[in-house]
Amino acid sequence: MGPAKLEISNLTKAYPGVLALDDFSAVFDGGKVYALLGKNGSGKSTFVKCLSGAVIPTSGEIRIDGVEVNFKGPADANAAGIAVVYQELSLILDFTVAENIMLGRFPTMGPGSITVDWKKTNAHVQDILTSLRIDIPVTAKISDLSVGQRQVIEIAKAMSLNPRVLLLDEPTSALARHEINSLLEVVRSLREKGVAIIFITHKLNEIRGVADYVTVLRDGRMVGSVPIDVATPKVIVDMMFGETTLQNRPADLKVGEEIRLKVTNLRRRDKYEDISFDLRAGEILGIAGMLGAGRSELLRGIFGADAIDGGAIVLNGTEVKRPTVKRMKDLGLAMTMENRKEEGLIQIMSIEDNLCLASLNEVGQRGFLSHFLQAPVAEKWIGRLQIKVSDALQEVQSLSGGNQQKVVVGNWLNTDPKVVFFDEPTRGIDIVAKQQVFQIMWDLSRRGLSVVFVSSELEELLEVCHRILIMEAGRFIGEVREPENTPIETLYAMCMGETAK
Amino acid sequence: MTTTDTTGRTGNQAARRAPASRPFFKPSDFVLEAILLVIIVLLAFTAPGFASWDNAMNILRNAAMTGIIAFGMTFVLILGEIDISVGSGLAFHGCLLAVVTESMTNAGWSAETAVAIGVLLCFGIAILAGMFTGWVRHALAVPTFITTLAWMAAFRGGAYLLTGSFPVTPYPEWFFFFGSGAIFGIPFQAFVFLLVFVVTWFISRYTVFGKSAYAVGGNAESARLSGINVLGVRMAVMSMIGVFTVLSAIMVSSQIQAGNPTVGVTWEFTVITACVIGGVSLMGGKGRVWGTFVGVLFLSIMLNGMTLLNIDEYWQYVARAILILGAVLIYQVQAMNARRG
Repeated sequence: MGPAKLEISNLTKAYPGVLALDDFSAVFDGGKVYALLGKNGSGKSTFVKCLSGAVIPTSGEIRIDGVEVNFKGPADANAAGIAVVYQELSLILDFTVAENIMLGRFPTMGPGSITVDWKKTNAHVQDILTSLRIDIPVTAKISDLSVGQRQVIEIAKAMSLNPRVLLLDEPTSALARHEINSLLEVVRSLREKGVAIIFITHKLNEIRGVADYVTVLRDGRMVGSVPIDVATPKVIVDMMFGETTLQNRPADLKVGEEIRLKVTNLRRRDKYEDISFDLRAGEILGIAGMLGAGRSELLRGIFGADAIDGGAIVLNGTEVKRPTVKRMKDLGLAMTMENRKEEGLIQIMSIEDNLCLASLNEVGQRGFLSHFLQAPVAEKWIGRLQIKVSDALQEVQSLSGGNQQKVVVGNWLNTDPKVVFFDEPTRGIDIVAKQQVFQIMWDLSRRGLSVVFVSSELEELLEVCHRILIMEAGRFIGEVREPENTPIETLYAMCMGETAK
Repeated sequence: MTTTDTTGRTGNQAARRAPASRPFFKPSDFVLEAILLVIIVLLAFTAPGFASWDNAMNILRNAAMTGIIAFGMTFVLILGEIDISVGSGLAFHGCLLAVVTESMTNAGWSAETAVAIGVLLCFGIAILAGMFTGWVRHALAVPTFITTLAWMAAFRGGAYLLTGSFPVTPYPEWFFFFGSGAIFGIPFQAFVFLLVFVVTWFISRYTVFGKSAYAVGGNAESARLSGINVLGVRMAVMSMIGVFTVLSAIMVSSQIQAGNPTVGVTWEFTVITACVIGGVSLMGGKGRVWGTFVGVLFLSIMLNGMTLLNIDEYWQYVARAILILGAVLIYQVQAMNARRG
């Protein structure tokens, strides 16, 4: 079979009151990788849903290799040769790689037999992995693999059906840089097979090495497709947003003298050790490092979310031996969790409730609480943080990622903290929402609050922080004192442990 | 690029903004109430003796016994937990009260003192048992289904051991007021039922504790990481249902004038049925005390009506099944429609 061809003509999907896709037309050729970009709400996910058969378009045509297709459900899309790999993994953790890939279509010992032929299963999966240049044992349990390896297996599973079109929906959002590289390697090997690959992502940088074209969606319409070599960040951002300017840390943010948080020789077995640092009033301290370096674990330890094995923490002049969330909160520490959906918010509760969660006792009066006490609090943070909400009593899960993140931040700012930890606050949110999160951090600094900012996006750290500590394998291995004068390559090299100092 | 201001300078502006409009009355929120109303009207015309004061009081009296426990169960389910020991608990506390009363009056204490001590002892045991269940759930991640399964066996066994499997009848005349007495023609139980309803309704809507229970049921990890005392909430809720079970046990004992180890069999399912009809989710985080109130009445009225219509008891089981499944299906369809927007 030659290279595939996916043609989309005048695709439109109307929801009550919104045109999620508005007369969208595009051609995707096999053997090419298309990076599909667009901010939240631009219609990307509706496009994916139309192609995967999850929703039925209002009008328009989809043609694969010249043949028009109509999907009534995901099974139709699969049969027509479209495979989708989602951000959330669908693998069964207790099964092996081979079991997961062949699930639902195990080869048997012969016609009519109900006994699974494990030898054939493993051999077949081995062939698939080899052809994709994936070096993971077929008998490995998924639970023993890293998140990056699981994502790769997810792609292999999709590819085992020999699709003509492969959609990757933000496959890298949870991965560290070296894991992203091995995933991109797999994508490159797929390109050689003539598959049309649509790669959806928020990250402009990581697509450079793999994409042939950058395709941009805005307000449900196709803005354009440009070859990767002319797609400078300026071009892409202009296409995505019309007009925007990237910001740098304002010059007026000064680090004070007073030490707000002093950590000495903190350790937790197998997670981190020998951790010491000071955090001053008004300071924004970044912590850089690869996934698994122990950054989140460290913040969680100080915050009291997980136990620590030893070391000293002095917060606002009070020494804390065994931190608990309640105690640290009362002493003025706040933390927005990396995993906002599962650990930061209660999805089925209202926006209003989620904004009061960490300060229920303060919002309430002598144990009594009501909508009339909560509503002003919710109004206040919705206004200050510019959370886009039509009704504060809606469930928080109805909000976009960026707005959910702002609810998490508002929830914690309402505890009136002195020190705020932000753990990957910009993950999965669009550039405008990111800039707003940076603004929040800068504003906290301006008011003399201290911030610790953990991010996998090194350019964000350089853009936002006064100082960056680099963590590797549970230890601090370096420090950047002047982020504004440090090129990203230097920081990247330090994170890889190349110029540890 | 707009700037984001966290100093509060724009806060007043935001507060001045008109609140988002939301319909005050949504008919889809009152499906259960509407169906109940229709059933009441239908029964009034078809079931002989249904539309009478005596029958209404009879319904209330029956509804009260399981209803009081159902309000406790509502919180347990909101927490994402379950308590299947309430039927056995009812028997155990009834027997304990009877045995304590009997031995103390035999030893020369007044009946008043004996009953008071017995009630306090029941409350103490119920609270300790609930705290233990909550603690084991929290510290060792033992599902409450398992722990209360054990309590179910222990309570039933305890009830038989305490009484030697025979009803114990130590009570003086005044004690029968709790089960058979009336004030202004309204049964005493109905007042307790309404009191417990109002208290639990208030807790669920207007207290930090109530909000915390919804939070823990909605997502215990997020609740913990927001500094909510998850262990405290779990222990309190599991104790609360124990306290309500004791209240019910006192009234049942009063009504049957004895401590009987065979009472309360399958009550846990009646109680859970009432909650489910009222829209309480077994997944946790969702449910209204008002819904349970309506669910309890719904179930009692249906059973009462069917008895008056001379419908076979076995068919009543089938009706129960239809009721549970029907309610759950309606709620699921509603939830799915809501999600679709």
